[in-house]
Amino acid sequence: MNQEQIKTFIDALAASDLSELVFNEDGWTLRLAKHAAPAAIAPDAAAPAPALRAASSAECLAPLYGVVHLQGTPGDPPFVEAGQAVAAGQTLCVIEAMKVFNEVRAERDGVLQSVLVASGDEVEAGQPLFRFA
Amino acid sequence: MFDTVLIANRGEIALRILRACRGLGLRTVVAYSQADREADYVAQADEALCIGPAAPGQSYLNQSAILYAAEVSGAQAIHPGYGFLSENAGFAERIEEAGLVFVGPSAACIRTLGDKVAAKRAMRRAGVPCVPGPDEGLPEDPAAIRALAREVGYPVIVKAAGGGGGRGMRVVHDESGLLDALALTREEARRAFGNPEVYIEKFLVHPRHVEIQVLADKHGHAVWLGSRDCSLQRRHQKVIEEAPAPGIDEALIAEVGERCAAACRQLGYAGVGTFEFLYEKGAFYFIEMNTRLQVEHPVTEMTSGIDIVQQQLRMARGEVLGFTQAEVRCHGHAIECRINAEDPDTFAPSPGRITGWQMPGGFGVRVDSHANAGYRVPPYYDSMIAKLIVQGTTRADALDRMRLALSEMRVEGIATNVPLHRRILCDAGFDAGGVDIHHLERWLAAGSTA
Repeated sequence: MNQEQIKTFIDALAASDLSELVFNEDGWTLRLAKHAAPAAIAPDAAAPAPALRAASSAECLAPLYGVVHLQGTPGDPPFVEAGQAVAAGQTLCVIEAMKVFNEVRAERDGVLQSVLVASGDEVEAGQPLFRFA
Repeated sequence: MFDTVLIANRGEIALRILRACRGLGLRTVVAYSQADREADYVAQADEALCIGPAAPGQSYLNQSAILYAAEVSGAQAIHPGYGFLSENAGFAERIEEAGLVFVGPSAACIRTLGDKVAAKRAMRRAGVPCVPGPDEGLPEDPAAIRALAREVGYPVIVKAAGGGGGRGMRVVHDESGLLDALALTREEARRAFGNPEVYIEKFLVHPRHVEIQVLADKHGHAVWLGSRDCSLQRRHQKVIEEAPAPGIDEALIAEVGERCAAACRQLGYAGVGTFEFLYEKGAFYFIEMNTRLQVEHPVTEMTSGIDIVQQQLRMARGEVLGFTQAEVRCHGHAIECRINAEDPDTFAPSPGRITGWQMPGGFGVRVDSHANAGYRVPPYYDSMIAKLIVQGTTRADALDRMRLALSEMRVEGIATNVPLHRRILCDAGFDAGGVDIHHLERWLAAGSTA
């Protein structure tokens, strides 16, 4: 199965009202599935449009709706503080959703200008969490 | 005898309990957290009291706040639902001491059955079949431990007495790994459950999870209401349940069911409860007892025709069981799919606003849910938003009905595991019935299309 074939299948699925497409050939299985858009990609109309926000590389946005924690456990020092230099891959905060803890990491090196949320805040998908200088 | 019940839980089970109370003419008080204040079921209660912030530790697990809510609302009974404080002996004790009724067994029963070693001992005494292995904690002497494990036969499983729900256990395949596994499990158990006691059992390789629902009054009567098969699990979380357990000799289930009812009478157990067993090669092995109402109780309601939550409330009110074992008749087959707000492929949680909500219906279809279009699934609690239950005259009939119901079901705005359920319902293994507890994870790992 080549890339061209896979693209054809993707287009076919996208154009149809099917939710899933499975194709078997020579021991290969290709499964394509369409999903209800997850909250992280398409928050409701009231939430800020993530596409616009994402364009501003100076902000770090919440990847999902949940509760933000700025430190590992209560009493610990925060992961990061305003004015601090952070490295790509460094943990900035944790967003808790339904007992699952999702780490939010810095996408690139930079200096943190401000922390825009407080520990325990409920944050929307796409909401700015940190601003970089 | 009480006439007002405080419901100390949330979501679909709070609504289920509310309906059962209404059916009995009881007044309802819902204790809710700030995160649940806009839920419809809260408005449906006769009275609703906010018991704290969203975080469970400050609301649904806050014993003092719940007791205070009972006091100010005049509720004389507290229903704990499942999860949260439902199997907390200390909470049951505080309710008893306050002169109120805990809708569940006595604190003493919860305590005994919550200790897996004590529970196993009690079950052996009552003649309930258990997993081979001693019903006491392990000795200190390494040579004595090795001798015990050899007698049980490898592979063995090291388990924490205070564990449960799949936590605090470790499989050991041969003698060389025994003592290290023991030390690790002890340390984990000490940290996680505050009780370092561990014990060993024979490890069953391909068991099914089969359980027996019981109902007991405070006057020494107990009955069992049939079997359930909950083998379809992922990470020890049940995904689909059914009643009865398919392909098991009815006479054998009846024999085990009778033993369970006898154990309730012997322990002075009152209320509803579930005996959980592993089932392998035609034999039952007791693993633990849940001393509360269970998520999957509706499949038993559908086959037995008995409203389990109403019965639970009646038992708590001190009524005498209104029927005998001979009058319990189970018919047909029922299946339940747990609908979770999670990605059907990655299992990532997906809280948020539900924008579209179309539930299936028709003959033999039941949906237990507190959600609706516009409802916002909060990020603070577990991800189950609905239970889809169907019944049929046979298992094949129920499977067909479930496929149809799942195809009708539409939830928009958040991701749900409905597509996963649709795929499972097309799996030949599940369709044939009687798969083991590892089947679903194996099937998912294999790409779920084979």
